[in-house]
Amino acid sequence: MKIESTNKVKKGLAEMLKGGVIMDVVNAEQAKIAEKAGAVAVMALERIPADIRADGGVARMSSVGIIQEVMDSVSIPVMAKARIGHFVEAQILDSLGIDFIDESEVLTPADEVNHINKQSFKAPFVCGATGLGEATRRIAEGASMIRTKGEAGTGNVVEAVRHMRTITNELNEVIACDENEIVALSKKFRAPLNVLEEIKEQNKLPVVNFAAGGIATPADAALMMQLGCDGVFVGSGIFKSGDPAERAEAIVIATTNYNDPKVLSEVSKDLGEPMVGINIDTLSEEEKLAKRGW
Amino acid sequence: MKVGILSFQGSFLDHSKSIHELGHESLLIKQSKDLTSVDALILPGGESTAMKKIDQFSNLLNDVDRLIKDGIPTLSTCAGTILLAKEVIDGEVTIPNIDIEVTRNAYGRQTESFEGSVRFYDNEDIYCFIRAPKISKILSDTVNVIAQHNDEIVGVAQGNVVSLTFHPELNNDEYYLNWLNDFIKEGKNVRSF
Repeated sequence: MKIESTNKVKKGLAEMLKGGVIMDVVNAEQAKIAEKAGAVAVMALERIPADIRADGGVARMSSVGIIQEVMDSVSIPVMAKARIGHFVEAQILDSLGIDFIDESEVLTPADEVNHINKQSFKAPFVCGATGLGEATRRIAEGASMIRTKGEAGTGNVVEAVRHMRTITNELNEVIACDENEIVALSKKFRAPLNVLEEIKEQNKLPVVNFAAGGIATPADAALMMQLGCDGVFVGSGIFKSGDPAERAEAIVIATTNYNDPKVLSEVSKDLGEPMVGINIDTLSEEEKLAKRGW
Repeated sequence: MKVGILSFQGSFLDHSKSIHELGHESLLIKQSKDLTSVDALILPGGESTAMKKIDQFSNLLNDVDRLIKDGIPTLSTCAGTILLAKEVIDGEVTIPNIDIEVTRNAYGRQTESFEGSVRFYDNEDIYCFIRAPKISKILSDTVNVIAQHNDEIVGVAQGNVVSLTFHPELNNDEYYLNWLNDFIKEGKNVRSF
């Protein structure tokens, strides 16, 4: 007996990525640097979020050529982004045999009401969330992994911290509630009841939850891990910095040894210039990517 | 009993849960200083390339290697099995402790990952194979086949080492947990630190 692409197998890959770093790359060369630095997976993109932000315009799924080039160049899992609600982009990625699809707010949304129904795809999905309601709605749609939205392409970790703290606080409220309160909590968070029941049974989110959006230094990665994330995505933070290979490696070591300040200080030494960050306050509401998704 | 779980990255917390269910203590091992006294070892699944890289900093696997060679009961799954294999196709040999050749990502990409029936000793159950390696050759007569999926060898034992390509820790079924309990206990007095 053999069945492919079951929920358990999809969630299982996310389990294997835990404690690891997933890095944004735009070509085979960067993908190889990431793999060599100890990335557990790479996200194949045409432009990293900082450039998407700078360039403006409509951001779509990356070209198939770039995605295939990255898939051919490394032995670790390869992820790629589809626009929110753009199920055809997801179908294309699925047909390429991609290892994970990120239905991402970093790209321009294609549907202002609906996210993709993720159950019917062979590849597992990861989706961004700013709170428990969003996380559980994505899980109900079939997401096998959640990540904080943070504020991609800013090199500023403040939003990822806010989202992680919100998810944790709301999660604790569900875990601590008595059974008479769960329907009211479902209404309060706009969270599907069945997922809340699953949370209550397991005392945790039923899928892996990574940090993403604004992580630029080993200390940022360790901060998110100490806040309870299962692993980290680093987007612009690596290849927008002075020495990408060394920074990538330092973030990998910091993510494993997130509770050991001695190691963190050792890997933070002589890292070269981090990416130049953006203060979230200077962004207009329309410029905030975390507002995308419903 | 204390069970050390290699915790660079991967499904180490799932293994830790299995150990707690058995009423034993688990130690998450990231650096050599964490390896003070353990009765058994588990090398979990994850990405073997990432684990190797993290080890360049931690230099922990040398000590793990010594413990295994001292005879401590050691279980490896998936990426952990790649770390222990004597020969590796499409990857690097790390700390060879079991006489098998493994082929990395032998089934293909994630879309070829599957749940499949496995005969594990005398029990049959369904387990996850996630971007799993294949045990492509057995290199010694002292290696025993202990698990099969159809005709494929998916689990082997040699001396104190058991290496699997699937993920029993994602099931934690009764048969596996009972087996694990016995396996850990055999090494009660094996300590080298």
